[in-house]
Amino acid sequence: MKEVKTFQQMYRDGHVNRREFLAAMGALGITATTAGSLLSSASALAASPTRGGSVIFASNLHGPDDTLDPILGTSTIDYTRANCMYNGLIQVWDDMSLHPELAEEWSVNDNATQYTFKIRKGVEFHGGGELTAKDVVYSMNRHIASGSPSSIKSFFSNVIEWRALDNYTVKLNLSSPDADMPVKLTQPQAKIVKANTHNWWEGGTGPYTLDSFQAGVKSEHSRNNNYWRDTGQWLDGMEITAITDPDARLNALLAGSVDMATLMNARHIKKIEAAGKSVLSIPSGLYGGICCLKNTAPGDNDDLVQGFRYIQDRERIVRKFLRGQGTVGNDHPINVSYGADHCHELPQIPYDPDKAKYHLNKSGYSEAELYVAPVIGFIEEACLLMQANLKKIGFNLKLKRVPTDGYWGAVWMKEPLNVVTWNMRPTANAMMAIQFGPNGNWNDTFWNSDRMGVLLKDSLAETDPGKRHEMHCEMQKLVSTQSGMVIPAHTNIIDGHNPQVQGFSNCPLGQFGGNGWAEFIWKTG
Amino acid sequence: MSESQQETGPSTQFEELPDAPPKRKIRLSWPGKIGVSVLIFWAIIVAIGPMIAPYHEADILDEELFIVPGSDEMYPDTDFQPPSKIVLLGSDYLGRDTLSRILFGARTTIGISFLATLLAYLIGVTLGIAAAVGSKALDMSLSRVNDALLSIPSIMFALVLIAALDSPGIFWLIIIAGFIYAASVFRIARSLGQEVIVSDFVEAAKVRGEGLWWIITREVLPNIAMPLATDFGLRFVWVILFISSLSFLGLGVQPPMSDWGSMVKENLSGLVYGSVAPLMPALAIATLTISVNMIVDDISAATGGKLAKRMIS
Amino acid sequence: MLWRAILGRFGISLVTLWVVSILIFIGTNLLPGDVAQIILGQMATPESTAALRAKLGLDKPPIQQYLVWLQNVAMGDLGISKAGLGAGLGTPIVEMLGPRVYNTARLTLLVAGIAIPVSLFLGLIAAMHPGTRLDRSITFATLNLISVPDFLVATALVLIFAVGLGWLPSIVFLRGDETGWVLIKTLAMPILTLVILVSSQIIRMTRATVLNVMSSPYIEMAILKGVPRKRIILRHALFNAVGPIVNVIALNLAWLVGGVVVVEQIFSYPGLAKLMIEAVLMRDMPLVQACAMIFCATYIVLIFIADIASILSNPRLRHPK
Repeated sequence: MKEVKTFQQMYRDGHVNRREFLAAMGALGITATTAGSLLSSASALAASPTRGGSVIFASNLHGPDDTLDPILGTSTIDYTRANCMYNGLIQVWDDMSLHPELAEEWSVNDNATQYTFKIRKGVEFHGGGELTAKDVVYSMNRHIASGSPSSIKSFFSNVIEWRALDNYTVKLNLSSPDADMPVKLTQPQAKIVKANTHNWWEGGTGPYTLDSFQAGVKSEHSRNNNYWRDTGQWLDGMEITAITDPDARLNALLAGSVDMATLMNARHIKKIEAAGKSVLSIPSGLYGGICCLKNTAPGDNDDLVQGFRYIQDRERIVRKFLRGQGTVGNDHPINVSYGADHCHELPQIPYDPDKAKYHLNKSGYSEAELYVAPVIGFIEEACLLMQANLKKIGFNLKLKRVPTDGYWGAVWMKEPLNVVTWNMRPTANAMMAIQFGPNGNWNDTFWNSDRMGVLLKDSLAETDPGKRHEMHCEMQKLVSTQSGMVIPAHTNIIDGHNPQVQGFSNCPLGQFGGNGWAEFIWKTG
Repeated sequence: MSESQQETGPSTQFEELPDAPPKRKIRLSWPGKIGVSVLIFWAIIVAIGPMIAPYHEADILDEELFIVPGSDEMYPDTDFQPPSKIVLLGSDYLGRDTLSRILFGARTTIGISFLATLLAYLIGVTLGIAAAVGSKALDMSLSRVNDALLSIPSIMFALVLIAALDSPGIFWLIIIAGFIYAASVFRIARSLGQEVIVSDFVEAAKVRGEGLWWIITREVLPNIAMPLATDFGLRFVWVILFISSLSFLGLGVQPPMSDWGSMVKENLSGLVYGSVAPLMPALAIATLTISVNMIVDDISAATGGKLAKRMIS
Repeated sequence: MLWRAILGRFGISLVTLWVVSILIFIGTNLLPGDVAQIILGQMATPESTAALRAKLGLDKPPIQQYLVWLQNVAMGDLGISKAGLGAGLGTPIVEMLGPRVYNTARLTLLVAGIAIPVSLFLGLIAAMHPGTRLDRSITFATLNLISVPDFLVATALVLIFAVGLGWLPSIVFLRGDETGWVLIKTLAMPILTLVILVSSQIIRMTRATVLNVMSSPYIEMAILKGVPRKRIILRHALFNAVGPIVNVIALNLAWLVGGVVVVEQIFSYPGLAKLMIEAVLMRDMPLVQACAMIFCATYIVLIFIADIASILSNPRLRHPK
């Protein structure tokens, strides 16, 4: 289509932004996913999908606790497999808009305490049998059962019950208003499984079925010929594995041993492209930061945290460690990727060693210990830079390097100073609520502000864009000045792939376009 | 099994005479002499390295240093730079000076490995001689526990201990490495000690009525000192490589401290760019280990080359 | 007497294995973190943790836990891994180990099949012509190879053969049905790396041991008598050096089974060592215990075989004084 090409040129030349581009594509009747791929790859100008072939996907982490049970998913490899094998009720598009998936449509009452979902008819499970309301209720009840191991259990703490009204209608009753419930249902853990199943090898309703699975080794998948929708499913099959060592992962991509390698370090982009491979770099709200726990020393000291903020050489981190593939952070999670909710009025915190020295002197501390794990590409480097800069002003920051495996259970939310990474959430409100909601399960700096709670609740109900923006601004200011969070930079989601593999979406919520690439991509020649 | 090797070890079959202290003077061949000079060089670096280093090991060099005069590039790359006047051996993945890090790292690398080997010897020799001169029951129980410890792959052993201690600091790293290597030292010390204890001159001393302590200090220790010293050298080298393997798994020293093994690891991706950053510390390790081996070869030759078969552990 | 000696070694091996089991049990219990809490992760509550502890038998005294574990292991029941346990579906460790043991055994045998003959040959050649240019180059090359970290050797080979020349895959993707040439090519990188690492050790030891035997009085006598050097080495020295050489080989085989973490990590090879490291990092105690038992048992069996070989190779050893 000529219009598409024109828009692609305009996008590349910076005349339209991502949001406008996607809106235009929507107007042309192009799905967000296809539009995303048009947007992301220059070669898409000429490419047309071809059927056949298979790909090898290398994630960054796997092990004996790899799981096919969606509610247990914690890592990119789990999410990717979940997207191959299952569907959710609702899906999120690249522009963060929500669309029906297994729920054909949904409705909500005025105060957002009751939802009704119409379940799609004629959807078959891999192992046979049609999807009904019973399966949906079963799947969702697994999150709220007592002792449930679900990793997003906290999302559903306000659920009273899921009830099947008939074979194709499900009703959800909530104890408190929740306008974000549909967003929560797009999470990879909220996939729909077959009722009463305990055999995850059987799979769900997803675009690819499971052929083999070895935890910590690999899984193989092939096309579900009985899929309920036409999204391409170009590939015959795929092999999903992980290469834990970043250098080995890079080399595997360069040597052509894998087609897709996730989480590439920005510094290798030039090398990857010089070797004839492609890089997918998607701007995102994804960030790496430092958590100073506010309920214990030394994080309870505001001056210490303030000193840590001023010592961040944010420009250099983005320039050197991210090679420009990211944006400077302003100590709150809501960067430009969140669109209108991003507070551009908030002044940028500068790199100012003098102010840092002033605050650190005032804090009375001259040393501290920070736990570091390479939870995200640049964080270790950023901490080393911070350490070197602190040394110059006479503050001794000790770094304690620990392995990534087990980090989230043993260090995060436990050690007084630790590093953290958060994926982007579909809305600013969801992001702020999950990390800074008062007394939230994942409030990882233990900063509880009543004002924050009020703003989170009110902004969900606020319909006036101006007022809503003001509320978000206040929240971002609160977080960036009072919480224990230091966010030096937001990074693009950077993946590397064989140029023959095309059609990736631009969804910024996870690796390779939100981990949901399986049913959309194709491999040429 | 140490016992079987000792009692039935091939060493006993051709030798009619007991081991006597090595009387032959050790003459160094030219590779041996080079080895000694290299070791002296590194010993000096351990002492003064941080003082002569152009930068601190933690310093991430300013971009301004790398600005080429006349170029309008305000923010030139600082990482994986080739050797130049600013960075004599090039810069690493973070833009730190490789030379400075090697100079600082000498103290960490050699220090940790040396102390760990020393600890291994303290434990291993004490228990090994105790087993050699002590009762059969003591010998049996020590040897079985030792065999069991030896059977666990050392890297796995370290992994479990490090996990158990929650990623401890250098102090515990030394203790762990020393403890793990004590098992092989025990084996050698016990086997050497037993050979001496059944020798004619010790029998003679017993007949003279000398005490156990006298026999250990005057007869056993002097007689096993030379082979043990040689083994110490090789063990030291293995500990260096062992610690570097731990660094590969992210379990070595804490940043920004530099040890040579972790320097190789953290700059490994530089190989793709033809950077010397990972090669320089590897070269430092190699000079050290090769030197030790060359000296050991000379000593080994002087003491009748009986060492090799004892090293099998 | 011969049989008594062998039986004695056998007894010692069994005792060692028993001591190993105690050490492993103590070692894994030293690991921080409550297994139940680790399994439950973020969702751990005091009640659910206590319930799971009871279910896993962790509330019993350590000695009782040890005895139960030992009995189970002896019966071939290695327990349940935490993999999938959160959903009430633990994976039997025996099932998880199967493919890993197969992979490790396959790689070990292939490496041993190449490395042992090659290194015996090179070691003997070097020992036969000590001091010559050939000997010096073999000695120098092996010395260099054992003097650098193993991950550097592996990475350098990857960059040469996979990234640079594009001849071989940089990591191992096993489909399970490879045979013959395809299998060799798939496994080529780890095989090459391990053959280089293992051979360097064996060559040096073979050379040293043979030279050592050569310096013993009876060989010196033979030399004085004018027996050709080549014949001395092949007929006398080699036979007497079998014990130590077999021992070195046994130790290297044991290392190939349990010590090749770094190489398995770099090539993403699904072997036992990688499984154990993952198990330790995830505090999957039953899995750690199972892997450790396999490594130790392998070591003990290999050393036992080496002992027997050295007894058989030497008539005098059959009749210890």
